[in-house]
Amino acid sequence: MTSQIKIIEAPSLTEKRRAFVLIEDRVGHYPEFRDFFDRSFDLGRIGLSKPGYVCAPSSMVYELCFIGRSGEAFPSGVEISAIVDALEPFDETVVDRDLWEILCWMIEGVGAPWSVEDLDATGKLYRIPAAQ
Amino acid sequence: MLIPDLPSHLRDQWPYAPKYARVNGWRMHYIDEGAGEPVVLLHGNPTWGFLYRDVIQPLLKAGYRVIVPDMIGFGLSEKPVNEHAHSLDGHSANLAGLMQHLKLENITLVCHDWGGPTGLSYALSHQDKIRALVIMSTWAWPAPPAEFHTRIFPWRTMHAPLVGPYLFGRHNALAGRGVYLSVVDREKFKQRGMGAYEAVLPDPASRLLTWTWPRWIPLDNSDRANERFRWLESSLSRCKLPAMIIWGREDEVFDAATFATRFKKMLPHAEGPHLVTGRHFLLEDSGPEIAALVLQFLKKLPAQ
Repeated sequence: MTSQIKIIEAPSLTEKRRAFVLIEDRVGHYPEFRDFFDRSFDLGRIGLSKPGYVCAPSSMVYELCFIGRSGEAFPSGVEISAIVDALEPFDETVVDRDLWEILCWMIEGVGAPWSVEDLDATGKLYRIPAAQ
Repeated sequence: MLIPDLPSHLRDQWPYAPKYARVNGWRMHYIDEGAGEPVVLLHGNPTWGFLYRDVIQPLLKAGYRVIVPDMIGFGLSEKPVNEHAHSLDGHSANLAGLMQHLKLENITLVCHDWGGPTGLSYALSHQDKIRALVIMSTWAWPAPPAEFHTRIFPWRTMHAPLVGPYLFGRHNALAGRGVYLSVVDREKFKQRGMGAYEAVLPDPASRLLTWTWPRWIPLDNSDRANERFRWLESSLSRCKLPAMIIWGREDEVFDAATFATRFKKMLPHAEGPHLVTGRHFLLEDSGPEIAALVLQFLKKLPAQ
């Protein structure tokens, strides 16, 4: 499987808002996940200076805001926000499917022994709609 | 506070007055019913005191005082929203805080799942307060607890970075489907229990501990709880407190052949292991049988 998630440049935020959708306090729980974000967004060079952005299959854009924590390798965490119309609600079903795609992209990027097949099987085991 | 949005057939199974205590700055919910020798019932992940609903009444009828706390982060207790608010030692200290608040002595401690590492840490560091131990479907030694916990599918995937908050946070996968998969009579569980576990974790942020606890299970010598588990193993192996081991016959995660046997080796004087019908959440399948075993065990304890 090749992910349909694309890393993009910062979009215009005019008349948009950041809608918080998912947080991870401990992205280095398995260090290869932290390494993936470090590698993908050149975080060793960029640090906290700017967030990362990805475009999902729905064409919605998501901001990845990396979090630093004293005494821990950077990033220690990551917040994901959907970039949505400033004064409108968003479609939760679309966001949920996009988040699942972001997870697939992450797992694919982290690589073995992690696999999208195992993620998919886990999603099916727990009857997650986006994995069905 | 009442149990939120709980249908009456579930609320009827929990007719107890909620009580609260401040422990380490958190609001801990517990019930404290009856009078007599205290029996403290400790749940694990992702349950709450409701897990013991079939055990409480038989103990009360037999004249025991029954205290059932909800771990901070579960049940009707406060639920911190930052992962760093949780630690194994912190949860043991929370229990110690409640025990001190209630000035309990001669405690019989009944532990299930994470009620094991937290409760046994309390018991082994306060042995003068403990009368006896009952151990069910848990562990008390360093990595790896079971082969299951080393597997990518499903164990490590389900609590992996971002995956844990998505599956267990957004979708409440552990309190619902997860427990459902770990009982024997799933239809009965669906009718009698499932809603009570899901209802008290209504929002993604309230479910934080459901994916945080799995991350505290040591997988190698560098993991953060490793030292505490080494201490637990060595302290429990020297422990002479009266003990009883109860296990689910069908438990595939903490299988009886490995786990109950290992506890028996550490505590050769312990009663059991008594095998009952049950997977990991054996109290859902065998609550009344477990209550009877605990009562028989309590009656045989030397008088204080």
